[in-house]
Amino acid sequence: MNMIDPRIHQVLDGELAPGALSAELRRSVERLVTAVALLGAPLPLPSLESRVMALIRRPAPSRARRLLRWLATPRAVMFRVRPVWSLAFAAVVALLTLVPIGHEGPDIGEHEGIAQFVGRFPGAQSVHVVGSFNDWRPGSIALEDVDQDGLWRATVVLPAGAYEYMFVVDGERWVPDHLAERLVADEFGRENSIVIVRPARR
Amino acid sequence: MKLWLGLALLAGPLAAQSARARLEGRVPGAAVPVLDSLVQRAVAEGLPTEPLIQKALEGGAKQVTASRIVAAVQLSLGQLRAARDLLIRAGDEPPVTPGEVTTVAWALRRGLPAPVVQRVVAALPRPPRASAMHAVADLAAHQFDPDSAADLIIAAIGQGLVRERLLDVSAAAAHELQRGHTHAEALALVRQQLPNVPASPKPTRSAVARARRPAAPPPP
Repeated sequence: MNMIDPRIHQVLDGELAPGALSAELRRSVERLVTAVALLGAPLPLPSLESRVMALIRRPAPSRARRLLRWLATPRAVMFRVRPVWSLAFAAVVALLTLVPIGHEGPDIGEHEGIAQFVGRFPGAQSVHVVGSFNDWRPGSIALEDVDQDGLWRATVVLPAGAYEYMFVVDGERWVPDHLAERLVADEFGRENSIVIVRPARR
Repeated sequence: MKLWLGLALLAGPLAAQSARARLEGRVPGAAVPVLDSLVQRAVAEGLPTEPLIQKALEGGAKQVTASRIVAAVQLSLGQLRAARDLLIRAGDEPPVTPGEVTTVAWALRRGLPAPVVQRVVAALPRPPRASAMHAVADLAAHQFDPDSAADLIIAAIGQGLVRERLLDVSAAAAHELQRGHTHAEALALVRQQLPNVPASPKPTRSAVARARRPAAPPPP
């Protein structure tokens, strides 16, 4: 804080003549006198009417802007929670996350398993898997190409055991499963693939 | 034994009757009487009929001529007879179970030499032997020597592994091959791991969710 020279106080209080001051202190006194004169002058305030009218003329903010402002404004939120309810809530969340409540898909029996059939047939209109699991009946198990990438798939529940099968492409072309590791001659001049279905519940 | 024979005598005509019903409309009409007689012959000999019916249905689905279907079913009947004889030679008391006959016939069809199959049968006196046979055949399909493959599976049986766990043994050996080991090294490595070969993964939850049952076949 700047200290004011006590002689200036004296001049302002009328106890000392301005002429008794140095030129520099006299300039300071003049500046102070001018500032005091300015502070004392009344400010040109707008009238009440003009202020009200200015507010009315200002366009109201849009609903989105008000929502954004509401969202952006920091607010204090206070929770009052009993620890016992917090623990109960955490336990329910953990239970729902860790323990499956039922499951989608079919119920799989004790002596049943899952067979996954995959074949690459770009441009095919339909692919079916036909084998000893469905009495070699074409059309009963269709593969799907969900991604349209030429990769056809089917996941099927079958009794555990070993089966021979082939793919039927577009209803007429019999093709072995080239991804299968097990192949056996079909006695008709081609090869069947073999799938071994293990019990799903082991 | 009497009960078994009685059931077999009762089941035979029923099986033959249902076989004809299953074949009609699915194979060329001219082949049905011949196929029916082959099925009845299998019944009379105490052999399983399902492999014969499946072979006939397969031929019909593949639109093979009647004569070729009959030839294939006759061949299958011969394979079943050979399988039954092998089981009896290996020590199974007649009448051998249809399931075991089918298993052995399949092993022979997959190219396993009869003496190898016989050794596996003798090593597993109590059925089912299907997984053991498939495990040996899987190894042979990966160019393992069939005798050495049978040795490994018999060793696994000796270590207490049964059923599908035997397929894990053959899968482990194939895995070692993929990792760059020779056949002999792969067999030795898996033998050292016994009985703790890695188990095949269970179906994932998403696979179970996707799975669906095949539509039931329409009534004949």
